[in-house]
Amino acid sequence: MTAKRTMTLNLTDAEMRVLDELSARKDITKTAVLRQALRLYQTIDARVEKGEKLLFENDATKEKAELMLL
Amino acid sequence: MTVNVSKIYLLDVATDGSVEAELRDAIEQAQLDDWQTKWRPALLTTLQELVRKGVPFDQWPQSWHWDWSKKTARVQGLLAFRGFSIVAQGETQGLAQVDLTKAAREANQRGKPLVYLEYLEVAPWNRPDLGNAPRLRGVGTALITAAVALSEDEGFKGRLGLHSLPQADNFYRKIGMTDLGQDAAYQNLRYFEMTSEQARAFFEKEENDET
Repeated sequence: MTAKRTMTLNLTDAEMRVLDELSARKDITKTAVLRQALRLYQTIDARVEKGEKLLFENDATKEKAELMLL
Repeated sequence: MTVNVSKIYLLDVATDGSVEAELRDAIEQAQLDDWQTKWRPALLTTLQELVRKGVPFDQWPQSWHWDWSKKTARVQGLLAFRGFSIVAQGETQGLAQVDLTKAAREANQRGKPLVYLEYLEVAPWNRPDLGNAPRLRGVGTALITAAVALSEDEGFKGRLGLHSLPQADNFYRKIGMTDLGQDAAYQNLRYFEMTSEQARAFFEKEENDET
């Protein structure tokens, strides 16, 4: 197992509520939600930095929408 | 990056004895060097033999074109991807790469994160499907075990998913994964998934086999 470090995280009530909901719905701990979010953010950021776009496609209508990242 | 090394045991087919091996949670330059200087020439010899015997292309080892240097370079530094390697008798015996950003498809765990096994390959001299008796057995299973253990460690409860090359379909069925059928969006390869319950059963079987 890789060594891990501990940090304190300050979240608003709304953020904590979302974290609780995601943790329950995805069947993972709150720490795992945040680690997953970090992985996804880094992956998306790396691809956008290379000039790629992040698109969502509606499975039924095939309509595409681009997610703009800052 | 610190590489974690665990001791595992493989079966030496010639002597029927166990061989100590290292399971490393990374694919490093030494493994890529082995792939380049040992795996590729061994595979090339096999392919030449298949051509000589007139074996149809669809019966060739389906990973023959895999380039591990490119696969590892593509995900260098990204937290979402992890590699595993198995080293024994001074040589790399197996490699695997996983993606941690995928979600499950099986009805009872749909949408929940899992470890997706992108690539798994065993050294050509350990592959019975290439026509020769393998030198070491247990390399593929050890890499699957490592992926399921990572899933546990990441809080994904052992959930595992993968697209199987046709020659490996029966192996994944044998270790208890659910066959969710051909995936038109992924070269029509069959998609297999391990639920948390199947992961528990898989570990129990592994433990029983060891004792």
